[in-house]
Parts: sequence; C-alpha cells; structure tokens
Amino acid sequence: MLRVENLTVSFRTDEGRVTPVQGVDFAVAEGRTLGLVGESGSGKSVSTKAVMRLLPGNAGIDPASRIRFTDRQGEEIAIEGLKPGARALRRLRGGEIGMIFQEPMASFSPVYTIGNQIVEAIGLHRGLKGAAARDLAVGMLAKVGISNPGARVDQYPQELSGGMRQRCMIALALSAGPRLLIADEPTTALDVTIQAQVLELMRGLQRDLGMGMIFITHDLGVIAQIAHDVAVMYLGTIVETGPVRAVLKSPAHPYTRGLIAAIPRLDRIEVRLHPVPGDIPSPSARPAGCPFHTRCADRIAGLCDRVAPPVAKLGEGRATRCHLYAERNAA
Amino acid sequence: MRFLAERLFGMVVTLFLVSVMVFFIMELPPGDYAERYAFRKYSGTGVTMTEQDVEAIRAELGLDAPALVRYGNWIGGILLHGDFGPAYAFDTSVNTIIGDKVWLTLGLLFATLIVTYLIAIPIGIYAAVRRGSAVDYGLTVFSYLGLALPNFLLALVLLYFSNRWFGASVGGLFSARYAEAPWSAAKLWDLVKHLWLPALVLAWSALAYQIQTVRATMSDEIGKLSVTAARARGLSEARLLIKYPARLAINPVVSTIGFDVNRIFSELPIVAAVLGLTELGDLLLKSYLDLDMNVAGAILLMLTVVIVVMNVFSDLLLAWLDPRIRLGG
Amino acid sequence: MTATTDPTPQARPETPAERRGRLRRERYYSASQWRLIWWRFRRHWAAMVAATILGLMILLGLFAEFFAPYGATERDRSYLSGPPQVPMFCDRNGCSTRPFVHGTKTERDPVTLRARAVPDPETRNHLRILVKGESTRILGLFPSGIRLFGLENGARLHLWGTDAQGRDVFSRTLYATRTSLTIGVAGVLIAFVMALTIGGVAGYFGGWIDSVIQRATEVVRVIPVIPLYMGLAAAMPKEWSSTQVYFAMTLILGLFGWPTLARRIRSQLLSIRGEDYVLAARLAGARPARIIAAHMLPSFTSFIIVDLVISFPYMILAETALSFIGLGLRPPAVSWGVMLQQAQSIAAIEQAPWLFIPAGFVVLAVLAFTVLGDGLRDAADPYAEAR
Repeated sequence: MLRVENLTVSFRTDEGRVTPVQGVDFAVAEGRTLGLVGESGSGKSVSTKAVMRLLPGNAGIDPASRIRFTDRQGEEIAIEGLKPGARALRRLRGGEIGMIFQEPMASFSPVYTIGNQIVEAIGLHRGLKGAAARDLAVGMLAKVGISNPGARVDQYPQELSGGMRQRCMIALALSAGPRLLIADEPTTALDVTIQAQVLELMRGLQRDLGMGMIFITHDLGVIAQIAHDVAVMYLGTIVETGPVRAVLKSPAHPYTRGLIAAIPRLDRIEVRLHPVPGDIPSPSARPAGCPFHTRCADRIAGLCDRVAPPVAKLGEGRATRCHLYAERNAA
Repeated sequence: MRFLAERLFGMVVTLFLVSVMVFFIMELPPGDYAERYAFRKYSGTGVTMTEQDVEAIRAELGLDAPALVRYGNWIGGILLHGDFGPAYAFDTSVNTIIGDKVWLTLGLLFATLIVTYLIAIPIGIYAAVRRGSAVDYGLTVFSYLGLALPNFLLALVLLYFSNRWFGASVGGLFSARYAEAPWSAAKLWDLVKHLWLPALVLAWSALAYQIQTVRATMSDEIGKLSVTAARARGLSEARLLIKYPARLAINPVVSTIGFDVNRIFSELPIVAAVLGLTELGDLLLKSYLDLDMNVAGAILLMLTVVIVVMNVFSDLLLAWLDPRIRLGG
Repeated sequence: MTATTDPTPQARPETPAERRGRLRRERYYSASQWRLIWWRFRRHWAAMVAATILGLMILLGLFAEFFAPYGATERDRSYLSGPPQVPMFCDRNGCSTRPFVHGTKTERDPVTLRARAVPDPETRNHLRILVKGESTRILGLFPSGIRLFGLENGARLHLWGTDAQGRDVFSRTLYATRTSLTIGVAGVLIAFVMALTIGGVAGYFGGWIDSVIQRATEVVRVIPVIPLYMGLAAAMPKEWSSTQVYFAMTLILGLFGWPTLARRIRSQLLSIRGEDYVLAARLAGARPARIIAAHMLPSFTSFIIVDLVISFPYMILAETALSFIGLGLRPPAVSWGVMLQQAQSIAAIEQAPWLFIPAGFVVLAVLAFTVLGDGLRDAADPYAEAR
C-alpha cells in the first residue's frame, strides 16, 4: 500500500544543513503493522511526517526520494511530487492516511469540543453533515470504547482523562476512514495499564477495519505486542528490517542486539544493566561510513568507519545494513 | 452562569468604590463654590461680603451638609434621576452642559476601537503567517514608531498635512455647517466623515501594540501540535489558520479591551485640545479652569463607568470565546 | 551476545578546537546569573545602541550647565524666533580651519514690520571650545563658569535657533532633558515602591488580604489617568511655585501608576510560591526571610527591572502630554512638554519648525527605553532561544 524508497530529508538550520533521514526504505501492506523503532533523534518521526508532507518550511525532501501510495481506487500516487497545498494531498491526509500523535492533549484544540473536531473531519472526507455526521461521530467514540459517547461528544478535551483523550484522538483519526494509520508514539505518554488498553484497542480496530499501520515507538515491548514487521532506525538510516518475532528472537544488527540486551528484565535480577555504550551522535556530525560504528563492539577498523554498509538480505523477509553480513552475502 | 453573576456583582462593587473615590476627588480642592459664587454675586455692586453672607449662600446651596449626606444626595440624584447636579460655574445644570458630548465621546470611542481591531487583527495574523517577509519587518518598524510617537504630536503632524493637502476644516468633529444644527442623517454622515482622523490618531499606539501582540500569539499558536494535527486531517491551510490559531490569537486582544478604553480616554483630552474637538475632554479642561468640581467629577465618573463596563464586557467576551476560562482551567 | 569491551569514543587527546570549545562551555556553565544576562544583552545590538543613547541623554541632562551655552531662561533680544545657526567651514568668501557662523544684523521684516535677526554673510564668528560663560552651579552644587562651547567676540550662538522670546532652544532642550527624565525616574520610583509593598503583601500572604488588595488595585487601575490628573490639578492652588507643581505631578503620576506593576509583582510572587525549589528550600529548613531574599527575589528581579524600564516611557509621555496642554509644569521650569507647548499652532510649524526639536528627543527617549526594555527582557529570560 505504501512504498517508501530512498527517502532523504534535510533541514536548513542556523547551523547549516542537517540530514536527519538518509536513504530510508520501507513498505506497509494492508492489514499489517510496521513497527518503527529507534532512539530519540533517529529520524522516525521525520520519516513519517515526510510521508504526509507535514514537514516544516525549512525542510526539504531529496528529489531522488520516492513515496508511493496506492489509494482506495487502486491508483498509485507519487506523494513526493505533490505540491504542498494540492487538493490531492489534502484528500490523502486524513482520508487515506491518518495520523495520531504522542500528546493527545496537544493535538486537540482546546477551544472546540471533541465533537466539533470529529465532525469537521467527517465533513471533509466522508461528505456527511449535520445530524448524520454527529451520529457517525458518536458511533466512532463508542467504537473506541468511550463510555457515554453521546454526552462526551459535546465535551472539551481538557475535561477528559489522558487515556480517554487518546481514544478520542484515535476516533478522530479513524472517523475520516483512512486505510493507513500512522501512530507516532501514541502510548509513550500513557501509564502502563492504560497503554495496554489502548494497544488492545488498536489491535482490534486494525483487525476489524483491515487498516495498515505504522507504529513508531522506542519501546521494544510495545513493538512485540502490536507490530507484524519491524524496522530498526539509527541516526536516520534503517539498520534492520524483518518480521517482528524473528528479529526480536535473533537480532542481526549489533544495534538491535544492543537494544534488546539493554531491556531490564523482570524474571532475572541482574547486578548490572547493559546499556548500549556511548551516545547517539548529533545528526549534524554524522560519522563517516556506518553511522553506528562509533558505538559498535564488532566494528571492522578501516571498513566500518569508511564505507557505508549495503543492504544484506538475510532470507525470510529479513535484511540488515551491516558489513558483518554483507561479506557473508557477497561470498 | 455563575461566572456571569460573579462578574456582574464584582462590577457593582467596583462601581460603588469608584464613585466614592471620584467623590473624594471632587472634595479635594480647598474652598468650595460658595465663596466664588458670593464673589461673583457681590462684586461690582459695592456691597462688601461678610462671612455670614457666604455661610448663608453655603446653606442655600446645600454645601454645608456633612460629606456623607452630600455623597448620598449626589449618587441618589444620579442613580434615580440621571441628574448630575448643578453646574455652578455655568449657572445651569451639569446635564445641560454635558448634553450631547456624551454621545460624541462614546461615538469616538467606538470608532477608535473598531478602527484598531479591524486593522490590527488581520494584519497581525498576516504578519505571523508570512514571517520574515518585507511586510513583517515593515510592521515591526511601524510598531516601534507607534509606541514612541506620542498621540498629540501625531495629531499635530496629521493636522498640518491634511490642512496642506485637503484644505481646512479637517479638525473638529463637524464642518461649520452642521456644528449647531439639529441631528439629522446628514449631520450623522458629516460626523462619520470627520471621525476618521481623531479615531486614527487615538488608535495609533494601540494599533502598534495590538499588531505586535496578535502577531506574537499567532506565531506561537501556528507552531503548536494541534495545528499540525489539523493539517494532518486534511484541512486546507486557509480554513485551518482561521479556525484554530487565529481564534486563540484574538484572546489577548479581547482581554485588553478594557485597558485600551482606559488609554483612549486618557489621551482624549490632549488629542481633543490639539484637534479642536468639542467633546468631553475639552469640557474637562474648562471645568478645571473654573473650579467646577461637579462637572469635573461627573465627567470623571462617566468615563470611569464606561471603562468598568468595558472591562466586564471584555471578561465576558473572553470567557465566551475561550472555554478554558469558563471551565476554570 | 553482549559487548565485552567498552569502546569509549574519545580515546585520543583533544584537539585545540575541542579544548577551546570545552573551556567556553565550562565558563558558560559556571557563570553567575548576572554575567549570563550581561553576555546575552551585549549581543543584542539594538539594545546596546539604545542604552548608549540613553546614557548620553542622561549625561547631557545632568551636566546641562556645562554643555549648554546659555541658561534656560536667558533671552537674546536681538535674535527672536531665529532659525538655527549651523556652524560651517566654508562660505562664499573662502574656507577656514575653524568652524564659524555668520554674525547677525537686525533687519525689518517687510511683511510684519518687526525687527528680525538675519545672518550677515560678511562677518564671521568662530567657534571656541571651553568658553568662559556665566557662572552657575552644576546640578546646583558645583560652581563653574566654563561652558563646552561658545563664540568668540561674546557673540551668541544658537545652534537650534530661538523661540519667540529669544531663548536658546539648544540650551533649553538640555535643561528640559534633565527635568523630563527626572520626573520619569521619580514617578517610576514612587510607583515601584508602592507596587512592591502592595503587590508583595498580596502575593506573599494570599487569601483574603489578596482579595481586598485585588479589589483596591482594580478601582485605582480603572480610572483614566489624565482626566484624573486634570481633576486633581484643579486642587493645586495657582500660587504654587513651579517646584511644588513638579513634586505634586510626580507624586500623582506615581500614585496612580502602581496598579500595573503591583499586579505583575503579585502574580510573579504567587507563581513562584508554588515552585518546587521554594518548597525544597522550606523543606531544608530555611527561614521565610531567607527564602524570599535568596530564592524568590533573584528569579523575578530581572522581570521587575524590565517592567520598570518599560514604565518610563509611560511616565515621560504623561508629563509631556500634560505640560503640552499647559496643565503640567509651570514656567520657569522647562521640560520637553513645556517647550512643545509653544509649537502647538500650525503657524508655528510653518514659521518656526525648529521649535519641534524637543519632540525628536521625546520620541528618541521613548524608543530607546522601549528597545532597551525589549533587549533586557530577551536577555533576562533564561529559556529564550539563543539569537
């Protein structure tokens, strides 16, 4: 449904040109969830914002990038070529691709009721107005598990609890009927029990509606629960992809291995935790060659710090960008 | 609803306190009108005045009653009969002296407010949307100028230029033909034609300030997540800007309506003096010169009442526009 | 499979550039609050310019007796309503190394038949520095007879012309600078002291004290200042000397200027009261006095300074406006407003536009204070982004 190839995004800042996303490829199919995992600053949000063309004015998408989306009529749309204000783009946003954000309070406007904002989306993309739209809105709220939706629809966002707001945001995104949902760290700001409920809700909705989903998070545990496929990002490049079970069980890339090893465990009390050593470099000071080599225990001197590793296919839908595997592959 | 009741009650209390304060100010000048009245009455007649004569006049005018009683009479007269008492210096009642000028002043006030907000809000929004453009920089310069150049100087400059280019009779609220004529549609139109200059002058510094405020708030709001989220829902840029950030950018403007009114009234006498307008401010000057505290006090009270009412109005308007205030959040 | 070695990125010695960067960062982190504010302020060039201009004005005003060639009320009857005399180096008759102005001769104006002073291109009077002038006292304290500049031959130099009574505009402007600025300072000071007390009490105690003070503040704030002043001016006997009027004016302006400042102080105090670091100080056992002085005050001192600086234009404009319509200072006191009073008519604009020069000073002073306030505010805000 969505195919992204060679996505490169750069920003013009006071410090010069910064490229937080470089040469990123990923794809999402109908009914499947792609988990996008990485530390803060790895470029996850920027990549998905680029898909929706929601980047700020000083950002630019490289002309060699390709973002192709197949809409419900079966047409393939080249998102990278659309003009910023184009009607086609506006139709896509919300109507075909929906997005939910990390801060539910911040994504609603505090001066309008929930119902007002949902009905607005419905009017834009489903063509319903008035009572029909309102009924749909109420139905949507019920679907996401809001109790007493008829009353809630006239309330303001600040009158609701955090978990409820997040559900409302999901309802708002879904009310436009998108086929792909991009969820940008939707559960990060929630506490664990609510998090579980919301994840459960999203899984159920995906099953019922057959949506594709991109789920961004830094939490591997959440990925395990919700994603079918996973892509691990580091400093703007995707270092490993594959089905979630396989990658988590036997990670290939050193970074992925480090991430998994760093997770504190409840079933074993250990004396020390094992974080990934070092700090993520700033995107304006990108290391040469493989971006991870400064923190990699298995780096090959002379190779990893000079040449960017190519994609190495590992079979069963898995791939990774690492010289350790590239050699094997080439052989 | 409770909100409304609270505000209205507060307004009444404030009005009461304000009236006490104004009365206190009225009482301040040493000596009262009795002496001057006596002086005027007897001077030139060759009759010498005695203290008793003055006392008699005082009793006759009711000026010897204790302060509390006089306050009661004054306020009672205003609230119950709309009568502000006699205007000693002018030998007639305050109401007659003030007369039409109340409406003129109010008209000027609202004209100024309309000019200010109608210009400031759209321009501020535009400047925020087009940051860094030539318009934006021009407006920054303008706003600094607006804050620095005093209104009365601007009035003088404008008067000079409009005289040069348009010919006379731009100062004043009416052209000579209509000045004393009874009210009619034509007179009203004449008034409107003349209002723009004083309104512009009075609006000048308020404009500069509000444009900056709107621009800053709008800039803030545009960067917020709710705007990006709305864009992600597929709203067109124009609708998006008006429905979300613009609505919030108006808030600070609404909340300062009362303050603007206060400032406009404060500058009114000066601008009126320069432009030769015939309304309350000018009257205030004359009454000061003649030590008629009744007129001065009445004018002060009226101006302050309008300010208080506009303050409450701005609070209510803000609450209506922004549910966060209503919900006490 | 976990990493057994711990590769640290910085195994080699730092380069000179890195060392410079590290030292700079250390200096930054260990600098005190005031140094930080000063550094940021220095980078805001417009505010620095504004501060310099204000400094100059204050200097000129304080030492007006030195900088001004003549007294504020001296009349030069030979040069009434005369245009500015601009020193030049060359004229039709050749050039000279020393700047000079033309002497004057009296002529009868053909239209008004009044004696008028016109420049006489044949005579030259050269400029001299540090001339002996009338003895006077600088600031009323130090006797001095020296003026910064003057003309030889005892002729009179009117850099910015004279008014209808022959008083030198340049000198009067300098004295007016002193008066207008000090009224501003005095007014702001009075307002500040009152605001600090009232706002401080309200903010610190809260509760019903706060509510009462709130109500009182509202009542005072609501009254329009200039009409109020006009009403009160009626209470000022006509016999008062100009000094007394001066004091009364500053008192009134200050007395009614406190509400805005008080509200700011109160809201600052209230918000700081709830901050975690105050709570931490209390938990550590600090006494209320120490909490206020060492913890609360420093964080909002910078805001208060900004508020103070921004209040100046308001005071100065109020005094100028009132004097302009004749309700303010009385002669022989001179302020910008008083000087502008004579420039009121359109006739003045057309015939003697140099009388407007004080207006330029007013605009300059207000602009300078505003820009300075902006710069201070940007510098004092620890969360503002670096420019």
